[in-house]
Amino acid sequence: MTSSLSISDTPLLVESSRELPLVHVSVALATGAIEDPAGKDGLTRLTARLMRRTGGGMTQQELDTRIDSLGGSLGADIAHSTLSFNGTVIRRNLESFFGLLADVLVRPGFAEAELGLLLRETEAELVESRDNDRALARRWFQRRLFDGHAYARSVSGRLSTLPTLGHPDVLELYRRTWVGGNLRVALSGDIDTEQASSHVARLVAALPPGPARPDAVPDPAGPVGRRLVIVDKPERTQTQILIGGLGTHPHDADHIALHVANTVLGGTFTARLMNEIRSKRGWSYGAYSNLPYDRHRQAFSMWTFPKATDAAECIKVELSLLRAWWEKGITARELAWAKRYLVRSHAFSVDTATKRVGLALDALLYDLPEGYYERYLERVKGVTLGEVNSAIRARISLENLLVCVVGTASEIADGVRSAIDDLASHEVIPFDAD
Amino acid sequence: MNLEAPPLGRVSHVASVPFGPELVVERFRLENGLEILLCEDHSAPVVAYHTWYRVGSRHEREGKTGLAHLFEHLMFNETENLPAGTFDRKLEEAGAESNAATWLDWTHYNIAVPKEQLRLVIALEAERMARLVLRDPQVSSEKEVVANERRYRVEDDVEGAVSEVLWATAFREHAYKWPTIGWMADIEGFTTEDCQAFYQTFYAPNNATIVVAGDVNYANLLPRIQSAYGALPASELPLEDVRPEPAQDEERRAELTKPTATEKLAVGYHSPAMGDFDHPALSVLAEVLFGGRASRLHQLLVRKLEIASDVRVFVGPFRDPGLMEIYASARTGVTAEALLEALDQELDRVCEERVGEDEIERARARMELSVIAGLETADGKASTIGFYDTVLGRPAAAFERLDDLRRVGPSDLRRVARRYLRRTKRSVILVRASAGEKQEAAA
Repeated sequence: MTSSLSISDTPLLVESSRELPLVHVSVALATGAIEDPAGKDGLTRLTARLMRRTGGGMTQQELDTRIDSLGGSLGADIAHSTLSFNGTVIRRNLESFFGLLADVLVRPGFAEAELGLLLRETEAELVESRDNDRALARRWFQRRLFDGHAYARSVSGRLSTLPTLGHPDVLELYRRTWVGGNLRVALSGDIDTEQASSHVARLVAALPPGPARPDAVPDPAGPVGRRLVIVDKPERTQTQILIGGLGTHPHDADHIALHVANTVLGGTFTARLMNEIRSKRGWSYGAYSNLPYDRHRQAFSMWTFPKATDAAECIKVELSLLRAWWEKGITARELAWAKRYLVRSHAFSVDTATKRVGLALDALLYDLPEGYYERYLERVKGVTLGEVNSAIRARISLENLLVCVVGTASEIADGVRSAIDDLASHEVIPFDAD
Repeated sequence: MNLEAPPLGRVSHVASVPFGPELVVERFRLENGLEILLCEDHSAPVVAYHTWYRVGSRHEREGKTGLAHLFEHLMFNETENLPAGTFDRKLEEAGAESNAATWLDWTHYNIAVPKEQLRLVIALEAERMARLVLRDPQVSSEKEVVANERRYRVEDDVEGAVSEVLWATAFREHAYKWPTIGWMADIEGFTTEDCQAFYQTFYAPNNATIVVAGDVNYANLLPRIQSAYGALPASELPLEDVRPEPAQDEERRAELTKPTATEKLAVGYHSPAMGDFDHPALSVLAEVLFGGRASRLHQLLVRKLEIASDVRVFVGPFRDPGLMEIYASARTGVTAEALLEALDQELDRVCEERVGEDEIERARARMELSVIAGLETADGKASTIGFYDTVLGRPAAAFERLDDLRRVGPSDLRRVARRYLRRTKRSVILVRASAGEKQEAAA
């Protein structure tokens, strides 16, 4: 059972479990890359990574050696709306680990020499990331889907923005975001509430007070018309295809209904997409649809990766499946099956203390509706067929869609264009474009 | 519980093995040879039910590579009592998490379910062990899926392609020389008869171990397993055509050109089998050299010289001697040869200079955390038990290995460095960057 506490206005979640001699800790901010100023993509992530490398004025090697030697790990995960330092340590070294964690979060050295190293390292990583076709597809889908919105920003930064990120930017972002009111902390494992409170109280006391950062980002507008983006990469035997538009918001009245609908379309290994694309035709190793949530409306997308010569036909089938789902909805039998799947498989979302605390932390970070996870099973069970099918038509657009394909344009472009009816625009982007 | 069991389903308790400080693995065996490993863990109302078959790509032959992996896919298809598509549908309806994996030495089917669904899982797993139906349409469709998986993991993935060439270069005799996913021509050439013969040979109770971890006890579990598997006969397993790899006595090199912006380097040193006395010491040495950002090679290549964006190592956990694989990505304008030169300097140094206790302690702590963190879920426990039992024959060997690691000292590291990190025993793959050339030419 997760305990919910408050330490000087900082929410603290704790769940004890003595099964293993491990303690997990997450120190999170309810803000992320949306804090990056215009033209400075990557600043939030850069700042977090620099904290992780210069805590307590140590060098990166000193800090990593100490954390490793405790049987610990500590990493920073940065998304658009959240930032979290997640650590794990063998119980016997918890005291020392918390000391290092405080060095990183409260006493970062921000050495300028390390900043230079980190910027060059990040540049090399960005170049390297172009080897990953799936990541390329995601990046360009996100950028074009949310064009002009904060969600279009690259969390990792871009080659063109890295040179604009300076030491003063890092210090200012740290000052602005690392304040008591902006913090949410979760601990789980071999630790009790009293110990957790004591550690977190010391951490919070060392940070300046201050209110939570406001989230002034508007909801995204999404694409207008059907748009095609081909990310052109040579010698591709295969394509990576993402098709989608705007999706759901956790505060939508039909949020859970749409979640159930998505389960039927492409949420599992036997869902419609997988059945038609992989099982019947053998076209793609995987075929899924995805409906993530965030503090603002996020994307809905279908993902497949057929060989280049099947790409056009695969897109046609996906679009026809999407249309059938939208026009005819799901059946009563599918609804009953999806409910059983979602209700029973929820056991694996809550089978460890760390997962349970993680859900509670997400509820805080993403401003989820009151009782979002506590009432999740009840809400899934209560969804009706009419609600599910109305949610599809209300939230998913057949007219406003983005199709993003990574492949060799000279071989696939004509076929892919002709596979999409009513295509409003198309563009070809070199895979090594910034 | 043997009174009502069929003759082949009579169960014997073989051993109780402590699994860490709190848990125990109980080993049982049915008369038909089926092994059962049970680890009761009542921390969550779920059960992991894993089936390990002692068949992997090492049991294939030239021209038929990838059959074990294709077969893993086919195991999710039609059975005598379940039409195609029903197997996964039933599992999902039960709320199961299900997957499978094939590697050099084994094939592993893992299912985790809410505990009240265990009966269904036992029935389904027993059904596909004995009554799988193999027909041309499913085999053709699944071949196409696997070909697409290969395009995803190998043809269009630089690191996947490089790893495949590295193993094919380092091994000339042993079956480890071909990739588990198989060569594309072999995947395309499989027939339904190939699959049927493979099934009849290797999918039998005496070639499998069932690992159960979670909220269940033996009194509930064993009668169900006896009932589901007890009538299945053992098969006559063929004598494995093992071809030990001859000692390598000179460095081997190969070059690839890929549409990537930067050059890459892969180096494979022949490494000991997982059960070898040297394996823990070589694993610690690999961790000292390459494990994490405080490691020697990360510090040298990524930070000091700034010639790599990434450097990693993997020491093969296999039944027979494998490879210690090193992979590095160069920064723009840096050659793979420059990476190799810097790597060699550090590897030469570790052969001559003492490794400090602090470095060894750091490596050990990282490895200890990795083992413990892998045991958080029922699924993690079952995977750990099944893997170590399949490869080493000891279900709690993960904990024995932690003891082994604690005994590793500087002399052990020097010994394994000098024994295994010899240039005459390595294969080197240099990856040229065609996308980088194009960029430079355009500039």
